[in-house]
Amino acid sequence: MDRPPELQANSASKELLDLLSAVSRGDRTAFAELYRRTSAKLYGICLRLLGSEAEAQDLLQEVYVLVWQKAGRFDPNKASAITWLAVLTRNKAIDRLRRPRIGREGIEAAADVEDDSPSAFDIIREQDDSARLGRCLDELDERARIAIRAAFLDGDTYPQLAEREGVPLGTMKSWIRRGLARLRGCLER
Amino acid sequence: MTHDRNNPDRSLAAEFALGVLAGDDLRRAQELVRTDPAFRLEVARWAGRLAPMLDDIEPVVPPGGAWGRIDRSVGELPGGSNVVQLRRRMQQWRGIAAAMTALAACLAIVLVATVERQVQPPAAIQRPSGPPMVAMLGDQGQMKVVASWDPAARQLVLAVAGDMPNDPRHSRELWVIPAGGKPRSLGTMADRKQMHVRLADALAQLLQQGATIAISVEPRGGSPTGAPTGPVVASGALSQA
Repeated sequence: MDRPPELQANSASKELLDLLSAVSRGDRTAFAELYRRTSAKLYGICLRLLGSEAEAQDLLQEVYVLVWQKAGRFDPNKASAITWLAVLTRNKAIDRLRRPRIGREGIEAAADVEDDSPSAFDIIREQDDSARLGRCLDELDERARIAIRAAFLDGDTYPQLAEREGVPLGTMKSWIRRGLARLRGCLER
Repeated sequence: MTHDRNNPDRSLAAEFALGVLAGDDLRRAQELVRTDPAFRLEVARWAGRLAPMLDDIEPVVPPGGAWGRIDRSVGELPGGSNVVQLRRRMQQWRGIAAAMTALAACLAIVLVATVERQVQPPAAIQRPSGPPMVAMLGDQGQMKVVASWDPAARQLVLAVAGDMPNDPRHSRELWVIPAGGKPRSLGTMADRKQMHVRLADALAQLLQQGATIAISVEPRGGSPTGAPTGPVVASGALSQA
């Protein structure tokens, strides 16, 4: 018998939480099941941000090894399991995108990026309403909305965004900063 | 409109979570993540706020070989994050233990110096089996154990601070692991806060400087094989008190 979609989503989310918690106790079977259920979503994120299949597969491996080692850092009170996994993957992809700039920014910058990136695991979802972000993004100027999405989903930095849009760096920064401030205002309403 | 002109770090946290920072601003944000809990919290909140955008990315099933590689690389690693966290906590505890041992050593020197001025002991009288030693054992929960070993009396005293886990299906078994040697059982621990064990000579010889005292979780009554079979929940090295 079909359950309401909401309940199905809740029970899937509870099952993922149980799997993640079993993984934190070193349960290999749970780990395999977690991979089966989440790898398509995470691989999609890897591919979108990194572009190359080889890089994406390499990152996917890095992420699951991290999950195996650090599943205990997941806090179910702060975010759902799938949100935690997705943001962790995205953060690790960003780390990777920043890495090839060793030549330009020097060895010290590379050392910074290679650091354990402690915040990569910290995600707090204060609202369960995923549609709300979309509504709030729609309230922004088109320029800010496009830039914020490009930054989050394609991993572009301020200089890259400014170049892509053909505007001065300061202009791009002010679009995005204003956009983020309005976004928070809207989300906290 | 709520522009963050008055709170640049709050804006920086949002920009860092969004991933737009580069150069010096990126390094400053990375530094703040490490040093400023409020900043880190704000980054975590922003990561959560922006997360629903990831739902717009189409899932793609990874190629078949990907799982095999992950499974193999995980197979070579110690399982589960608890082990890693346990190690980290034990490193912290060992740091504290080392400091306490150093303090104890200072006190001992003062005491010995004072005593020697008062009575000159005959040079020939020396404890045959060496000075008393202690080991600090920490585990992943609240339980902390101090083991003190008196070679002259062949007596090992364990004092438990914190909660003793109440687990009727398992016993906690005490081991000595000589440097470079195999674990030898010293018996199971009663569910009490203090434990005294008098050791036979053969075992007593193993409790030397640098030997490790460890506690493992075993089936009720102790390891069926004579070697630890369950996880080691606490361990620490013996050193002179």
